[in-house]
Amino acid sequence: MGVDIGDILEKRQVGFDDLAHRIVAIDGYNTLYQFLSIIRQRDGTPLKDSKDNITSHLSGILYRMANLFEAGIKPVFVFDGKPPDFKADTISQRKKSRAEARTKWDEAKEKGLSEEAYKYAQASSKVDARIVEDSMQLLDFMGIPCVQAPSEGEAQAAYMVNKGDADYSASQDYDSLLFGAPRVVRNLTITGKRKLPGKNVYIDVEPESIDLMQNIKLLDIDRQQLIGIALCVGTDYNKGLEKVGPKTALKLIKQHGSIHKVLEHRGEAIDELDAKIDFFLNPPVTDAYELKWKSPQKEKIVDFLCKQHDFSEERVLKAVDRLEKAGKQRSQQTLDQWF
Amino acid sequence: MLEATIDASLLKDSIESLSVLVDEARVHISPEGIGVKAVDPANVAMVSFELQADAFDEYQAEESEIGLDLTRVLDILGVAEKTDKVRMKLEEDSRKLSISIGGISYTLTLLDPSTIRAEPRIPQLELPAEIVVNGKGFSRTIKAAEKISDHMSMGVEGETFFLEAEGDTDRMRQEMPRDELISITPGPARSLFSLDYLSDIAKPASKSNEVTLQIGNDFPIKINFEIAGGRGKVGYLLAPRIESE
Repeated sequence: MGVDIGDILEKRQVGFDDLAHRIVAIDGYNTLYQFLSIIRQRDGTPLKDSKDNITSHLSGILYRMANLFEAGIKPVFVFDGKPPDFKADTISQRKKSRAEARTKWDEAKEKGLSEEAYKYAQASSKVDARIVEDSMQLLDFMGIPCVQAPSEGEAQAAYMVNKGDADYSASQDYDSLLFGAPRVVRNLTITGKRKLPGKNVYIDVEPESIDLMQNIKLLDIDRQQLIGIALCVGTDYNKGLEKVGPKTALKLIKQHGSIHKVLEHRGEAIDELDAKIDFFLNPPVTDAYELKWKSPQKEKIVDFLCKQHDFSEERVLKAVDRLEKAGKQRSQQTLDQWF
Repeated sequence: MLEATIDASLLKDSIESLSVLVDEARVHISPEGIGVKAVDPANVAMVSFELQADAFDEYQAEESEIGLDLTRVLDILGVAEKTDKVRMKLEEDSRKLSISIGGISYTLTLLDPSTIRAEPRIPQLELPAEIVVNGKGFSRTIKAAEKISDHMSMGVEGETFFLEAEGDTDRMRQEMPRDELISITPGPARSLFSLDYLSDIAKPASKSNEVTLQIGNDFPIKINFEIAGGRGKVGYLLAPRIESE
């Protein structure tokens, strides 16, 4: 998922406090995928209601967003639109991996291999239309704005940060940087204890921010070259060069100057290279959004989560109470703003 | 040094005007009188309070600063009858205050002023509209708004002062044209405020016949009134809520 150039980027640990009063454009699909993959029972089974509908994402949205709200962070969800044509390979590849993981999960469960089962269960997570629809519904009841991107959500988020409508783009992937997001925050929605993939080890996950301009300066490259590095390593739109990780890619790009020259030198090619570079530089985005945080609609949240999806009413009411309190604090100004 | 005698009810009202925002305060004592400036823990509202020497029956003081636990003082003043006099004497080292009420004598251990949040700076604000209303009426409107919402906007349209609250389902509006107001200086103004804070501030303000409100557009509000027949004054500054959220 996404481009893996984290190794060469300078990241800064940030606390929730540093993000107070900040508007954060959250990559919707990426975040829902994280919720589906992390919020599971011990044998890997996701949370479900009595009608066998998955509810891990709803649980994630309610409780994690309550945490963000309490910290004074203003989240906005950005959802993917139509993927570019050259993403088709990645999409069908993901479908295949999911199906394989699903089979392996069942096998592991039968054999009683709980760790294996958990791993494959995570890999079989799928954000389908119903999960997105449910999530948008709950976000609306919670008063959190959603933005429908014309194409990639991370591109839209990057646009909104550049425009000054948001302060950070939030995703686990680095793609937003390629789309030109000046500031990206990772781990925002999964802060806390998290299981390391494939291991029975839990670590503390803290949010970290990445500043695009600072990194470009540190690496002594420009944005086109950063995109070149990503294309060398592999993105959602191409496979990447054989045995080239981010560090080698950085070296190659610096040595040859551009992705075109690197490919020329190695006698390789990337399909529709110019179109892909142009897509990172000028992705389809929209101004058709409104960022307004409304008061949570308590009754609708309770009806939706408790009546339709069997959540515990007591726990939901507590979370709604936190949302309401945080909402009031958010709109209240303080006197130090008038000095 | 301080030796003073004052009406129990006036002292109680004075302390209450502070205790609606803070539990502890640094009280500045001088030969001219006493003064307090304090900001609430959330930094949303501040109060500045002054009581002149001639508001006391007897008053003798030298410059000093004491830290007062307002909740405890109010509790003690609860034993006083309305017509009682309160006699206060500050011990030499400024660590203890003796308070005598109708033959009962308390010795109150004071707080170290340095442990209390420092006096706030006061922002310089140009507020375009000024309205003078009756305190009791103002307090009544706030109580009315609280029935349906937790916030209320105040503004000026033409020469009319309006107060408006909107809850999830219900609305309330009060309009006061010039002839229903003690005075009005019209100006472009409309700001939204938390009713939690407004109702706390309205409690002490309700005892005053003339309460001066100064407002702007999405700006803090100044709420000022006199106490002790003009020999003291209380002023609040309350930060707004921003409506679009």
